[in-house]
Amino acid sequence: MTGVAPARSRDTGVGLFPIVWMCHRNLTRFARLPAIMVPMVVMPIFFLVVFTSSFDGISRVDGYPTENLINWVVAFALLQGAMFSGVGTAGTVANDLETGFMDRLLASPIRRGIIIAAPLTYTAIRALIPITLVTVLALVMNAELPGGILGIVVAFSGGIGGALVIGCFGLGVVLRMGDVRAMTIVQMTSFLVIFPSIGQVPIALLDGWMEQVARVNPTTNLLRMTRQGYLGDVTWADTWPGLLVIACGIAIFGTWARAELIRRTR
Amino acid sequence: MKPVEAEGLVRTFGDVTAVAGIDLEVAEGEIFGFLGPNGAGKSTTVRMLVTLLRPTAGTARVAGFDVVKEADSVRRLIGVALQDAAIDPLMTGSELLRLQAVLHGLGRRRAADRGSELLERVGLTGAADRRVGTYSGGMRRRLDLALALIHRPAVLFLDEPTTGLDPTSRVAVWEEVRSLNDDGTTVFLTTQYLEEADELAARIAIIDNGVIVREGDPTVLKGQVGDPTLRVEVADETTIELARQVLGAFGDQRPARDGRVAIGLRGGATRLTDVVRALDEQGVPVAHFELDSPSLDDVFADATGRRLEGAET
Repeated sequence: MTGVAPARSRDTGVGLFPIVWMCHRNLTRFARLPAIMVPMVVMPIFFLVVFTSSFDGISRVDGYPTENLINWVVAFALLQGAMFSGVGTAGTVANDLETGFMDRLLASPIRRGIIIAAPLTYTAIRALIPITLVTVLALVMNAELPGGILGIVVAFSGGIGGALVIGCFGLGVVLRMGDVRAMTIVQMTSFLVIFPSIGQVPIALLDGWMEQVARVNPTTNLLRMTRQGYLGDVTWADTWPGLLVIACGIAIFGTWARAELIRRTR
Repeated sequence: MKPVEAEGLVRTFGDVTAVAGIDLEVAEGEIFGFLGPNGAGKSTTVRMLVTLLRPTAGTARVAGFDVVKEADSVRRLIGVALQDAAIDPLMTGSELLRLQAVLHGLGRRRAADRGSELLERVGLTGAADRRVGTYSGGMRRRLDLALALIHRPAVLFLDEPTTGLDPTSRVAVWEEVRSLNDDGTTVFLTTQYLEEADELAARIAIIDNGVIVREGDPTVLKGQVGDPTLRVEVADETTIELARQVLGAFGDQRPARDGRVAIGLRGGATRLTDVVRALDEQGVPVAHFELDSPSLDDVFADATGRRLEGAET
């Protein structure tokens, strides 16, 4: 071989450190291409402002659990923005696949799991932007927060969790299909899981197939968890089903995404 | 232990066989040229050797490790610059070098030192803090080369490193590859450019339809194709038959344009004076005289019956 010793496995640092640098790369790209931010920020803010202005009277309907519509809608807007972050991350990976950057990662000695974990870490960081903006805007628009700090914590956790689940799902689809065509499926699925839920009105006010779908839609549990601090105290009963959705979503779709990544080198 | 060894390597995609059982051996410290037309199986072979694709059958060892069972060890020891320089246009050269260093486990100081050294080596020090999107094609290729070298790989895989580059940039990449090889790096180079293989490789393999059709020293391979072609254009067309008779004594006739005679000159250039003398003695006036040595394209044509796509000789 050549006279120069290559880096050995022990000092390749092929531990968690590459996650930091892969996130750094994505955040740098994000800062240099701020247009990426538009869908995940504009859409939820637009929804929050327009929906609460246009349908303010809806909260006076019997069965609506709050008189302040924004207390109900904020969780939906927050989750929408967070989920768009997950969708955006899948787009970043699709781009890496198309440009061949993914091959650079796959040909390096880093663990395959890190190639999945890094964009997910980026998703979580990126999701903080719409979550924070929507929260601040909602408070400015007189949202109440009876759940206090704990309410904020579960709302942020619900948002980040939702972003991670969609991020895992998006990675799975993108790695399966191998290019940006996958993004249509990822975006469509995100809309399909977030809208037929209790995002805009409580389940008691839903009717027909919409009610049936909302009852079984995991997003409903995620919304309950995220929203509870804006309606009252935070309770374990409203929290654990949301956490379960997040845990199962990450486990199932994350495992699938990893399997698809490995399949790409077979 | 050879830096690259492959035995019966096969790769299929559904019903399509991209690589149909190839054997390869690359010696330590050599530049090995892997030549073939588009779709011949070059990139598929490289992707198997760099662990990006599993062989359907057969085995391969790179830097002494099995590409399937010991893929992690292979990845630590190889440098890879694939066909499309996969370089993020939004990042700067130095940022990408830092990231690549992290992917290969280099510490901060080592990465910084090595990064500066490589940027200087490929002539990109001045452009290190510019976004790669502003680089020319040649600069991107040179950066790609630097990225592949960050961890001092034992074997460097270059998949069509000059495709799409202008002649000046191409020569700059060749010089860099030569210089790397002078430093002891074994280079596995795929190319569809005959000139590139001729210029750089000490040994080549020609692949066509997933099969290696010729392998060896380019000079020897060209010599095996047969005699060089001598073309003679007569100044007076009435003497063409006479010219044909005279030249017939020096080699077999080959196809030629009107007004010309072509033969495979037995004994090569050493017989040229004899040919000139014989033509002169018989009073055949010569307007044009040319001797073509066999090229790698002739080697490819001899092996496959076709000319190489995109051949540039």
